[in-house]
Amino acid sequence: MKVESHKVARLHAILWGIFSLGGMIAAFLLPVLIYLTAIAYPFNLWPFNGTRDIGFLITGHRLGALFIFVTIAGSLYHGIFRFQSALTEVGLLRYRRALEAVGYFIIFVGIIVLGYYLATWYLNGTIS
Amino acid sequence: MGDNKRYPELKRRLSPGWWTASRHYAMYMIREWTSLFVALYSLVFIYGLSLWAMGSRADFLNFLKNPAIIGFSLVALVFTMYHAVTWFYLLGAISPIKIGRSKTKPWQALVLNLVLLVIVSYLAIWLLILR
Repeated sequence: MKVESHKVARLHAILWGIFSLGGMIAAFLLPVLIYLTAIAYPFNLWPFNGTRDIGFLITGHRLGALFIFVTIAGSLYHGIFRFQSALTEVGLLRYRRALEAVGYFIIFVGIIVLGYYLATWYLNGTIS
Repeated sequence: MGDNKRYPELKRRLSPGWWTASRHYAMYMIREWTSLFVALYSLVFIYGLSLWAMGSRADFLNFLKNPAIIGFSLVALVFTMYHAVTWFYLLGAISPIKIGRSKTKPWQALVLNLVLLVIVSYLAIWLLILR
């Protein structure tokens, strides 16, 4: 029983650690990604100015693909984890297990799909 | 097992609207709810990539130029910046740095991290687009 609770505590520590890392990623990297995709590219502003398109960010080189993976995966984990936690504080505490299951499912599927696309593009040479 | 009986789990008994009782609680809850936009933007971006993967690069680019997606992304940007500001402030409140006899204040961590955010953003653009 004691060993089991230690394992659960360790798992919780790891999950909260990833959550904190995701918070840092969302705070430091997500704003610039949204600026590039929602302002700079559609309105032809710096740094695009009609030369490159936003696709270059993803497939221009490996560092760009890594940036996309880290930023989107970290932000997705942080956002879902925090939102489902907030839902338990507004009267849905009794559904905590179900919320966690749905939350982790979305995180898992999202990260797998994102990784699959980027890995496929890397392997077939789309990412140079 | 015996430990569990001696120290029973404390069940929180909060009404769904407890956070409306004070401005401080309301700000806390708004901060937590803004994380929904952080998650939604990530999912929307993955959906955009799926258009590229199953269609063409032009599908992804047209998707990003859709006015509804631009509008949503701008709202997401506002909430992401709100997340960043409150996160930086929290960092300073949770782990202040001791300098001599005094400790750093949360607003100092906020200013320092906002400067770092600008530097990191410029570096990302320079490394990934301009170089």
